[in-house]
Amino acid sequence: MLLNGIIPQILGGKLIGKVTVDGHDVSQTPVQELAKSTGMLFQDPEWMFATLKVEDEVAFGPENLRRNPDEILQSVEKSLNYVGLQLLRKNLVWALSGGQTQKLGLAAVIAMQTPLIVLDEPTANLDPATTHSVHELILRLRDEGKSVVLVTKDLDEFMAEADDMILLAEGRVVAQGAPRDVVSKHGKKILDLGVWLPETTEIGLRLQAEGKLQKEVPITVAEAVDLFADTRFKSNKPSENTERKETVLIHAQDVEYAYGNKFKALRGVSFDIRQGEIVAIVGQNGAGKSTLSKLLVGLLRPTGGEITMFARKSRQWRVQDLATQIALVFQNPEHQFLCDTVREELEYSLLAQGIDDKAIVSQRVKDMLKRLDISDTSDSHPFSLSAGEKRRLGVATMLIAGSARLLIVDEPTYGQDRRLTESLMQLINNLRDEGITILMITHDMRLVDAHIDRAIVMANGQKIFDGTPNKLFQSPELLQRASLRATTLRRLVDGLRERGVSVPDGLNTVEDFIGAMQ
Amino acid sequence: MSEHSLRYIDNGSFFTRIDALSKLLWVILVIVATFQLGTNQARGIMLALVVYIIVLLARVPFKTIWQAMPIILIMGTLLFIVNVLTVPSTRFIYILGFKVGQQGFDRGLEFFLRITIMVLASFLFIWTTDIRDLMTGLVHIGMPYRYAFSIFLALRFLPIVQQEVDAVKAAHAIRGRASYSPIRHRFRLWQRYMFTVIVNGLRKAESTALAIESRGFGAYPDRTYTKGFRWTKTGIFLIIFFIGFAAWLIYWERILGI
Repeated sequence: MLLNGIIPQILGGKLIGKVTVDGHDVSQTPVQELAKSTGMLFQDPEWMFATLKVEDEVAFGPENLRRNPDEILQSVEKSLNYVGLQLLRKNLVWALSGGQTQKLGLAAVIAMQTPLIVLDEPTANLDPATTHSVHELILRLRDEGKSVVLVTKDLDEFMAEADDMILLAEGRVVAQGAPRDVVSKHGKKILDLGVWLPETTEIGLRLQAEGKLQKEVPITVAEAVDLFADTRFKSNKPSENTERKETVLIHAQDVEYAYGNKFKALRGVSFDIRQGEIVAIVGQNGAGKSTLSKLLVGLLRPTGGEITMFARKSRQWRVQDLATQIALVFQNPEHQFLCDTVREELEYSLLAQGIDDKAIVSQRVKDMLKRLDISDTSDSHPFSLSAGEKRRLGVATMLIAGSARLLIVDEPTYGQDRRLTESLMQLINNLRDEGITILMITHDMRLVDAHIDRAIVMANGQKIFDGTPNKLFQSPELLQRASLRATTLRRLVDGLRERGVSVPDGLNTVEDFIGAMQ
Repeated sequence: MSEHSLRYIDNGSFFTRIDALSKLLWVILVIVATFQLGTNQARGIMLALVVYIIVLLARVPFKTIWQAMPIILIMGTLLFIVNVLTVPSTRFIYILGFKVGQQGFDRGLEFFLRITIMVLASFLFIWTTDIRDLMTGLVHIGMPYRYAFSIFLALRFLPIVQQEVDAVKAAHAIRGRASYSPIRHRFRLWQRYMFTVIVNGLRKAESTALAIESRGFGAYPDRTYTKGFRWTKTGIFLIIFFIGFAAWLIYWERILGI
């Protein structure tokens, strides 16, 4: 926000030191004037949009700068071509998918023709293939002479493309330099700060810390393949959890769902969810994942086929009764909160399930607060909690009554850094150990690989795969069809195998990989 | 992919293609004319005209109209009941076995029809108008673009606020009911919808304000437009036709004394 003058000019505060962009002092030059120098893509581009139609949105910025209408039209054409949205130019902005929304935001910034482009978490909540295409767009911009600043807490191997990397913590620059140098020298610090690093880099850092790596830490898959090409791996194949759980909680048979505009969000989807499993529903943006979760909690009813839940047809369940069996944690937990304090929020959940004995309510609330490590916040307003605390409170409100047998978590890693995600996954694994079945809706392939028993892959409203992550990641065609991308660890293993290295199956985590090295 | 009842429907219908200012002027004329009408028969004819335009000239889907009906019915029915209960009457009629005052009933129906006509005409404007055209139109007739744009933004975000309400309602539905009193529970839910929607609305409004400033909005006293405003012939025809229609209706009820 400093780079386009919003700080200090609009959001206030005191700026010590001086920041200049394209020769303009950001504290002296009006924000609107700085718009000629800095184009900014905000984290949630939907809220950046000021018009209704795609082409109008791209024209909005240049119109504000009083550019000639004919020039603007050319610029709109060029920008939409650039991001591949030319065929959607007449579409309404709210009819776009998540990936298209992000690309429209980028087109709107490109049309401003600024020398500097700032992108704030441009790939948060995008499916892996769309993330890859946004990265390619960024590289094109760089190659055409634009300066690009990418703000992120999720460093994948794309970081190798950066000329300079600045690591910030608590408002201070912790490290700065070429990505390779920063990662080599400050890798542990980066991980401690909760920033995601590619698994290939994590492996290098772990080996470096153990004194087993004298060379540079790899930051791309290709570098990691080169580094480990001579490594021997233990032949004992890690056992895959193939124990078949028998008790079927949910049985979906040829399920269809069509919205009022005849758009079929689900087409002939069949699957089972068995007790004690951790299952992920994955797929591209708009594949039908969220529709499926709403059907499972009774917020929507199938327009075709049938879902049997806990031995009763979905039509026989009322939403509030089903809520005693299935808990859904929304992507935005704030939507679920009803009360003015964390304690009241938990009490509400118990009362809603008919538990009104004051002593029992008090004890259960106390236990849940302690269990989720949010006791200190019991008198705080739920909206004032941190992102991680809100997530945990969201889970707590749905589970405190103790009757839920299935927990559905929508995008568990959304808005969470590495530490928060690990803490949430720890909680989810503990819940599974207690017998609660877990269903996750996610784009995070790393999460799928590390924690999931079974993945259901959706594409264009249809189920195209139902099986273990190992089988999923062994099928490049399937991944491509579902707009997914294998993790860097998987690509490392594939790369090593192509070089003739014998790598056992089932290396799903950094720990598995290091453990298998001889 | 869900649908919302209060958003622009880009279906290329006859009414959609009319320029935004003519449609805005038409809505104002409908409201003014409705207040000039003295009988419920005349108001009924006016309502029929608005419904005719919605269904045939604007081709608004029945589902969209149906989704908007609760807002209209709740407002209209409340006004109807208040009038039936509070207006003193000297004559009485029986409706569904209930004895109600004739004057209260007539006054209630008057308010019901008025509110229904006004709200439906306004909704028709939202359903058929690309708000950007309204903004350029208002600038065309001399309104500073910053003011015109604030109206635009308010209408632009109406469907998104509605989406937010739907998300909050869905999330609350699955949490069950913690009160034995349905009214108390419902009141609590509404209180919370408002809170969540306002908090998130303010956050998002701030994000939007920052985003449009950083895209040069307000950099100059004026701005350029890739799509300028043009009055349409059909718009002018609509205004002339409606003035004639309203004049005939008033003449019919006042001079001919229906």
